[in-house]
Amino acid sequence: MSKILHVAVREFISTVATKGFIIGVLLTPIILVIAVVVMPRLLDEEAPRVEGRVAVIDPTGEVTAGLREWIEPEAIAGRRAELTDRLDEVTSAAPGLGGDAAGQAVQALLGEVPLLDVVELDAGTDVEAAKQPLMADTEPENQRRLALAVVDPDAVTSPSGGELGGYQLFVREKLDDRVIDEIRSGLRDAIVTARVRAKGLDPEEVTTLTRVPRARAVTVTAEGETSGGEVFNLLLPAAFMVLLLVAVFTGGQYLMTTTIEEKSSRVVEVLLSAVSPMQLMTGKILGQMGVGLLLLGIYAGMGVLSLVSFAVLGLVDLSLLIYLGIFYVIAYFVVGSLMAAIGAAVNEMREAQTLMTPIMMCMMIPWLLWLPITRSPNSTFATVLSFLPPVNPFVMMLRMTSTDPPPLWQVWLSIAIGIASVFAALWFAAKVFRIGLLMHGKPPSFATLVKWVRMA
Amino acid sequence: MEHSIELTGVRKTFGSTVAVDALDLAVPRGGLWGFIGPNGAGKTTTIRMIMSILFPDEGRIAVLGRKSALDAKDRIGYLPEERGVYKKMRVGSFLTYMARLKGADGDHVRTRVRHWLERVGLPHVESKKCEELSKGMQQKVQFIAAVIHEPELLILDEPFSGLDPVNMRLLRDLVLDEHRRGATVIFSTHVMVQAEQLCDHIVMIDRGRKVLDASLPEIRQQFDPRTVLVEPLDPTSDPAPVRGLDGVEDLRTGDDGWTVSLADGTAPAAAIRAIAGLVEAARIELHRPTLEDVFIELVSRGDRNAEEVAQLRAALRHEPAEVA
Repeated sequence: MSKILHVAVREFISTVATKGFIIGVLLTPIILVIAVVVMPRLLDEEAPRVEGRVAVIDPTGEVTAGLREWIEPEAIAGRRAELTDRLDEVTSAAPGLGGDAAGQAVQALLGEVPLLDVVELDAGTDVEAAKQPLMADTEPENQRRLALAVVDPDAVTSPSGGELGGYQLFVREKLDDRVIDEIRSGLRDAIVTARVRAKGLDPEEVTTLTRVPRARAVTVTAEGETSGGEVFNLLLPAAFMVLLLVAVFTGGQYLMTTTIEEKSSRVVEVLLSAVSPMQLMTGKILGQMGVGLLLLGIYAGMGVLSLVSFAVLGLVDLSLLIYLGIFYVIAYFVVGSLMAAIGAAVNEMREAQTLMTPIMMCMMIPWLLWLPITRSPNSTFATVLSFLPPVNPFVMMLRMTSTDPPPLWQVWLSIAIGIASVFAALWFAAKVFRIGLLMHGKPPSFATLVKWVRMA
Repeated sequence: MEHSIELTGVRKTFGSTVAVDALDLAVPRGGLWGFIGPNGAGKTTTIRMIMSILFPDEGRIAVLGRKSALDAKDRIGYLPEERGVYKKMRVGSFLTYMARLKGADGDHVRTRVRHWLERVGLPHVESKKCEELSKGMQQKVQFIAAVIHEPELLILDEPFSGLDPVNMRLLRDLVLDEHRRGATVIFSTHVMVQAEQLCDHIVMIDRGRKVLDASLPEIRQQFDPRTVLVEPLDPTSDPAPVRGLDGVEDLRTGDDGWTVSLADGTAPAAAIRAIAGLVEAARIELHRPTLEDVFIELVSRGDRNAEEVAQLRAALRHEPAEVA
C-alpha cells in the first residue's frame, strides 16, 4: 500500500510541479478574464469613429428627412441603450454574463456611434456622376461621401396602385457593415413612415399600435415563481459538464503521457523490480486523480466564488458539487485506466492517436447532445444514455443540472453502473498494462489488445 | 544448503519461439554466478522470470525461499538490461524514490544516496536532472538504484555494457563489494572474459537450454588443455615431423607459430617434451581453454556449421575490453 502511495505522490508532484501545468491551469482563467473584461475595452478603444456623408437622391422628397432623423448620433445611441437594456434582461440571471460586462461587450460589438451627415441631392442628379465621390479620397475624412441612396420614384406611392418601389444603395469600399445596416434601417423606416403618412394615417399612432413589449417567461414551481433563467438553465448543465470533461481528460491525458514516457525511457523495468504492474498502475491512476481533483477544486471554487460575488449562489444546489465529485471519480477511473492501458501498449505518442479515437468519440457525445439532453432531460434517449458507460457520468450530470432533474433512484443506479464499469475498465487495463509495458516494437491494434487480455 | 534461487523445469515460449526450455538452476546463498551466452540465448527472459516480471509456462521458481519474487521484492536488487531513468527528475530524488519503493525508510535514505554517489565518483550530481548525465553516469546511477536498499540478492543483466574500461573496473569492484557484504550476485553477460574474471560459478545458456552449469575450477578441470602453442625459432621450420607425432590430431600454421591440437587421452606433458625434441622453439606453451573456447566447443557439438560457429565466436568477443 505504501508503495502505491509513493508512486501516486511522485506522479502527482511530477505533473503538478511543472511549468506546463502551472501555466496551463492559471492561463485558462486568465484568458477568460481577458476575454470578458479586457478585450471589450481594447476593442472599444480601437474601433475608430466613422465620419462622413450620406448622399440621397430622393424624387419623392419624403424620405430624406426620416433618414436624417434616424441616423442622428443621439438617435443611434438611444436605440443602442435600449438593446443593451433588453440584453441585460435576458442575461441578468446568468452570473458572469450580466451587468457591466455584457454592456461593454455589446458596446464593443457595435462600435462607436458613427457621425453621419445626410446630403440631399437634386432629384434629377445623374446617378453615375453621383457615384464618383464614393471612390474619391481627396477631401478631409468627415466630408467624404460614404454612401449614395437612390430612392425609387414609386417608393412611397404608386401611381398605378400596384407594387411599391424601394431604393438602391451604393457604398464606399470597406465601409463598416454596421454603418450600412444603420443606413438601411433608416431608409426602411423613413419609407414606411412616408407610406403610412401618404395613406392618411398618423405614423406615431401606427408605431404605438404595433409595439408590444417583450414579456419575460415566468417559471411556475411548487416553491414559487422565478423568472428570467432561460439562458442560465442551459448554461449551468454545460458548465458542470465542461468542468467534468476537462478534469477527466486532463488527468487521463497526463496518465497516458507519463506512461508512454516511462516506457520509452525504459525506466519501467527498473520500477517493476520494486513494484508490481498493478501497484504501479494503481499508484499512477491515484496520482493523476489528485491532479484532476485539484483542477476541479480550482475551477469549481472559482465558479462558486463568482456566484457568491454576484450574490446568486442560491441558483445552484450545492449538493450538485458532491455529485460532481462522485461522477468525476467514476468517469476518471474509466477513462483514466483506459488511457493508462493505451499508454502502456504503445511506444510513442503518435501511435496512441489511433487507439484513442474511440475514447475521443465517446467524449464527443456529451458535447453533441448537450442541448437536446438539457432541453428534454427525461426523454428515453437521455435516460438510456445516462445509464450507458462510459458516457453515463456526463449525461447524468447534464440531466441533474437541468430544470427537470431525474429521480434520485436513477442517479444512484447510474452511479452503481458507473462503479461496475470502473471495475471492468480496471480489469481490462490491468491486463493490457502488464503485458504492454515490456512490449516494444510494432504498435498494437485493438485486436492485439484483446488478445493480450485473453493471454494474461 | 539453502538456495537463493531455485528453478525447476522452467519453460517459456513467446508464440512459436521457445525462449527458455527445461531449465533447472539452484543458486546457493552468497554465490557469485555468471549467466553467459550469446544474445538471444534466453538470459534476459530467465532473469525476468526470476524477477516475476514474466511468468513461466511450465516449471517452478523459488526466490529467497518464497514462491515468487513479488513476495521478496524489497530484498532483491535488480539492474535490468532495458534500463532508464526519469529524465526530468533530479538524481537525488530519483534514487530516494527508488529506495522508498523498495521499502528503505525515510531518514537514512538521503545520507545513503549521498554516500553512494560519492562512492561511484559522482558527488556533485545529486541536484542535477537525470537527462543532464552521460549514459555511463546514468548507468552508475541505475546501479545505485539497484543496491541502495542493501539487497540480499543482486541480479544484474548485462551490467557492463556500454561502460568504458575505467568504469567497468569500478563497477566490478562494487559488485565484488556487494558480494563480500554477503549478497548473492547473479549477472548475465555475453562477453565471456568478464564472466571469467568475476564469477565463481558459470551457467551457460544457448538457444534457451542450459549447456553448462559448473564452477570455474570444475570447468578448467573438465575441459583439460589439449592445445599446444609452438613458436619455432626459425619461422621457416617444417611442421611435418610434429604433425606426424603420436597423439597430434591437427596442426595449423599461423603468423605467430603453430597451433597443435592433441587427441583425447594424450598427456600434454609428454607431447610438449616430444615437440621440444623435434623443433627448436622460442616458445612452447600449453594453452588453457578460455570460457569462449569451452562455450564454442559445447555448442559446436550441436548442429551448428562452421560459419555459424565463427559468427558466434565473434559475438562473444564483442566488447572485448579488459575488465582487469
